[in-house]
Amino acid sequence: MGRYIVRRLLWVVFVLFVITLITFLIFFVMPPTDPAINFAGRQPTTELVAEVRHQFGLDKPLVVQIGLFYKRIFFGDEYGWPGMGFSFVTRSALKPIILGRLSVTMQLALGAAMMWVLLGIPTGILSALRPRSIFDRLAMGFALIGVSAPVFFLGPLFLYLFWYKLRLAPGSGYYSIGQYGLGTWASHFIMPWIVLALLYAAFYARMTRANLIETMGQDYIRTARAKGLPERRVVFKHGLRASLTPVVTMFGLDLGALLGGAFITETVFNLPGIGAYAIKSVASGDLYAILDVTIIAGFFITFANLVVDVVYAFLDPRVRYS
Amino acid sequence: MPEPLLEVRDLKVHFPTEDGLVKAVDGVSFTLQPGETLGVVGESGSGKSVTFLTVMGLVTTDQAVIEGEVLFRGQDLLKLPKDEMRNIRGSKISMIFQDPMTSLHPFYKVGYQIAEAIRTHQQVSKHEAHDQAVEMLRKVGIPKPEERASQYPHEFSGGMRQRAMIGMALSLNPDMLVADEPTTALDVTVQAQILDLIDRLKAEFNASVVVITHDLGVVAEHCDDIQVMYAGKIVEFGNRRDIYYGPHHPYTWGLLGSISRLDSTSKERLQPIKGLPPSLIFVPPGCAFHPRCPYAFDRCRTDVPELLPVDGHHASACHLSLADKERIFQEEVMVRR
Amino acid sequence: MGCATRWTQGREDELGGEEVGQDEAWIHESTGFDKGRMKERGEVVTTKRTAKLLALVAVLAVLATACGGEGEGGESETPSVEVTQGGTYRTSAEDFGFTGAFDPTGEYLGSAWGLYTSLLLRNLVTYKHVGGVEGDDIVPDIAESWETSADGLTWTFHLKSGVEWGPPLNRDVTSADVEYAFERINAKSLAAQYGYYYTGVIEGMTGQEKAIKPVSGIETPDDSTIIFHLVAPTGDLLYRLAMPATAPMPKEVAGCFKRAGEYGRYVMSSGPYMIKGQDELDVSSCDTLEPISGFDPTKYIVFVRNPNYDPATDESREANVDGVVITINTNTEDIYNKVLAGELDGTGYPAGEPPAPILRQYLTDPELEDKLKIDSGDRTWYIFMNLLVPPFDDIHVRKAVNFVIDKAALQKAWGGPSHGEIATSIEPPTVLATTAEYDPYATPNHEGDVQAAMDEMKQSKYDADGDGVCDADVCDGVLMINRNYPPFSDMSPVIQDNLAQIGINIKVRELDSSTAYTTDQTVENLIPIAANAGWGKDYADPSTFAVLFLESGISCTGQVNYSEVGMTQAQAEECNVIDAWNAATSNGQNPLPNVDEKFTECNAALGDARTTCWTEFDQYLMEEVVPWAPYLWATVLSTLSDSVTKYEFDQFAGTISYSRIAVDNGLDPNTVPVG
Repeated sequence: MGRYIVRRLLWVVFVLFVITLITFLIFFVMPPTDPAINFAGRQPTTELVAEVRHQFGLDKPLVVQIGLFYKRIFFGDEYGWPGMGFSFVTRSALKPIILGRLSVTMQLALGAAMMWVLLGIPTGILSALRPRSIFDRLAMGFALIGVSAPVFFLGPLFLYLFWYKLRLAPGSGYYSIGQYGLGTWASHFIMPWIVLALLYAAFYARMTRANLIETMGQDYIRTARAKGLPERRVVFKHGLRASLTPVVTMFGLDLGALLGGAFITETVFNLPGIGAYAIKSVASGDLYAILDVTIIAGFFITFANLVVDVVYAFLDPRVRYS
Repeated sequence: MPEPLLEVRDLKVHFPTEDGLVKAVDGVSFTLQPGETLGVVGESGSGKSVTFLTVMGLVTTDQAVIEGEVLFRGQDLLKLPKDEMRNIRGSKISMIFQDPMTSLHPFYKVGYQIAEAIRTHQQVSKHEAHDQAVEMLRKVGIPKPEERASQYPHEFSGGMRQRAMIGMALSLNPDMLVADEPTTALDVTVQAQILDLIDRLKAEFNASVVVITHDLGVVAEHCDDIQVMYAGKIVEFGNRRDIYYGPHHPYTWGLLGSISRLDSTSKERLQPIKGLPPSLIFVPPGCAFHPRCPYAFDRCRTDVPELLPVDGHHASACHLSLADKERIFQEEVMVRR
Repeated sequence: MGCATRWTQGREDELGGEEVGQDEAWIHESTGFDKGRMKERGEVVTTKRTAKLLALVAVLAVLATACGGEGEGGESETPSVEVTQGGTYRTSAEDFGFTGAFDPTGEYLGSAWGLYTSLLLRNLVTYKHVGGVEGDDIVPDIAESWETSADGLTWTFHLKSGVEWGPPLNRDVTSADVEYAFERINAKSLAAQYGYYYTGVIEGMTGQEKAIKPVSGIETPDDSTIIFHLVAPTGDLLYRLAMPATAPMPKEVAGCFKRAGEYGRYVMSSGPYMIKGQDELDVSSCDTLEPISGFDPTKYIVFVRNPNYDPATDESREANVDGVVITINTNTEDIYNKVLAGELDGTGYPAGEPPAPILRQYLTDPELEDKLKIDSGDRTWYIFMNLLVPPFDDIHVRKAVNFVIDKAALQKAWGGPSHGEIATSIEPPTVLATTAEYDPYATPNHEGDVQAAMDEMKQSKYDADGDGVCDADVCDGVLMINRNYPPFSDMSPVIQDNLAQIGINIKVRELDSSTAYTTDQTVENLIPIAANAGWGKDYADPSTFAVLFLESGISCTGQVNYSEVGMTQAQAEECNVIDAWNAATSNGQNPLPNVDEKFTECNAALGDARTTCWTEFDQYLMEEVVPWAPYLWATVLSTLSDSVTKYEFDQFAGTISYSRIAVDNGLDPNTVPVG
């Protein structure tokens, strides 16, 4: 197992290497915009563009630029270690910007994840235990709406309804717990959490329900009942154990992807997260910011895959890695 | 005759579905004596499994309309509260299933699963339960039971798993073991070992055994009595000799024609019964078997034949006259065999 | 000259000491000025007569305040009523949008200029920070007075005393600080984005210096005197000295940053406000400097009062509020809703266009009517045509296009008159007042005149049978670049229909804003026609529009002269379009008129002659060159909440006038949450 994990970690590093390489290439083959021209004013002279390009390090051969990028990551740059470079737009170190935004995205993602697990899985279980009951029909009806209502629709709707019209929730924006206290922090996160969680909760409820119903039809559940086990134990020990394993896997992957940025939720609720920053960086051709965000998102996704695979081995004894 | 261990009276199990009422079991009566081995034979959908799942309390009134009586040591199981029924299940009546590959929970160790059954019904420590589980594994012939107990089902072969299932079923020394197609999913060589094991343990634990199968050949050497079921009803009942050497129902003849013998090498000798088992929603009028029966005549299409005794023990539900039955069996069925 | 000595002196100097024609110049400017003021009230002026009438009134008003306004620090327009003091103006934008990371040397964003000139920085001269043409007037800032030599080549400025850098610098602003700003503009490494306003203008300035070092053409004989030696007379020098890049810079801090944009996180205040946290900087060495805490370039900027600011030295800023807080909000609709909800005091650091339903609310709800402010944006939106590419290489076709375009429909596509006035010329009237009267391609209700267009088309070489409809192959599938979102994309079908009437079939290619510009900017692409472009003034001088048609505006990958007006053979060769150039110039008459000489003449002119010259220049372009079909002079829309007790627009920056607005929310900028 240890060797397996080491090998997988090396794989993560390799994947990140390839992802950044591809990002680099895409940037140079199909640049979203020329950051040097953006920084050279409305009537850019050739000399000025060349100077800016030089200061941005964009005049070096592609291979050298890529090499320098990796070198900075491993050995640090003028702004410290790991060298995340500087933003062309703000002309200042990216590390504090990105780490700050990563923390916001984490707060958003983890809070929402907690909500959707607490909301989706119990709903799915109750629905599965009483299929076709009124609860089941209502829950699955809501789940269908949840699955098909995108955040860019729900988000503004929630803001309009619960903040603008009803004043039940505070408006958009991020208010850090350290500076503004727990209450302010949480109250501003409630809507984004709910909006983001609803989509996933709906999905998880449906998935849990489907899995549990399928599991409860398995032969080993019949065996458990034939042993005379109490129904509660049959459901929670034998049924859930098997039906939640794929849900756990899904959860790991979803959370990993979300930690790389939930850009619609972040944009709608004006949360300075990494997803919104990624979009902005691409629009302004902020190369190092794009690369940093790509690496972080890539890391969370590949690392989540690794964690899920390792956890799966513990959850399902049939899976063994060597 | 001693008091029967199990007496089922006019059991009906009807499942309401969106397409209509599925009459899975439609008026079944039989008795099981202590120490007896009963074979229940029929194609899938004949109601043989549902009958015993109902006896076990695994088919409940939540799912189906259940009528009749299931007397276990004189007590009607159908009237028992769920918790009491649960106490009987697994301890007094046990059941093993067709597919040992899927009947054990893949995420729990085999020893744990057996111990769990023990601890459900007995106040013993985890440790004791585990020891008992290991002992059961030893009894069902699993080598190195201590090691095996802490392995997962996927580390067992099919035969081993069925042995473990049997061990689990017998771990609480039940009065009755229902084996539902216990060998169907297994290799031919393993089949015999499992049946022999059941025989041996039956003697050791002094239990009654019900073997449910679609294959008359399986029960040939192991059963005292055999009942043949078709479309939710018993169509013939008798002891082993009656069923093998003097069967009175055309359906039984058909089943005999499709026996797979341990010594058979060619599948060509199997002669399955023509046609498909009937829909249990729209059961054919008269004798349910008549659309597939080569000897059917007018009365078969209108009147439902009763299960009538031929002699003290042997009974069948068929409108053919006794003479016709014996003649056809001798001239047409035996010849083919 | 008994009244407003200082003020009059300023104006005289601006006009190069020539007294003749001053008043007439005023009248011309005032015409536009009143148009601006009308729009500010939300009533869009459509008739020229009204403007004329108001011009007279305005002249009287200006003359009156020029004398009476002295005691009130140059305030010329607002009657002296008590204005609410204190509170914090809170606003939001989707993005700061800085082009030079907020380093004044390079920063080329109007909204940033608003922050600099109203709040942070003081120049030698500045604007009044009001709306309309009056907002384009120059007034002294840290300069007490100035003189110009008879040849117009030497300008001497005398600095006021009592102008001090904010904490922790706590010292006087000196002439050396002003000179240092020019050193930085002159250094190549600091990428002064509008350095061309100084290079080749002030002696010794090339913009190519490797090191930051003294400029030979600037003298600082003492701390309060600075002398500029010019290469040639420059009529709009004062405008150029009002640009933020020339604001004094403290060497002890700015000198630590030698690369473009880096100083943006450390901008030190000489103005009424400073970035919150500036006073906490440790300026003892470069190593101890940390970015100022009140500015996070992706989240917020907070301005608080600069304790060292002395209002007595300042006649153009009121500094009513205690602070200004600008936060970034990625959700445009949310910004406008927060203004409606009173959680923000207004928009004004431009937020994106208000969403249509919200704008409708303001335009229809009587309670909100006066909360929507419409100001002139000094910006022309136009369709350009490429003089190298058939059929637009024929001037008659270009004229026909000007006639056939339904400008009223384009204005409608933009959302109606609140979004802009129909443009009839290249220079907006707020920059060149004479254009308000001028419409060489007048059509009924601006809806286009097909007959007039056909008459022009008949004279072109692409209408062989003379039926007024282009019958040449080159009129089929003519590529037009546009942006891929409204209102631009809504214009495409209108233009397509219009041009089809004279036989030009347009094939539209819609791109995102940045890509569309990059496509236009590359000469080799030979874009025949495009509707994606607009141009706003840098400062209120016609030259800032006229530069777009210079030979120097052509560069192979970064041009601004999209029509290739005056392209030389050498340029055509360098940019790989020599075949097109040869074809376009082959018929004997030169279709690529060069306007450089005329530009130089106008730019050297002063006073009334200057206005006349630019007016002729504009008319020459519109009638003899016809590179554009201008269609809209854009407005800037701002919405306000109830807390704003005084509104003012800053015409120079095109944003709300931070130093003149007032709010009554009583908020302390230090405690306003910024997230």
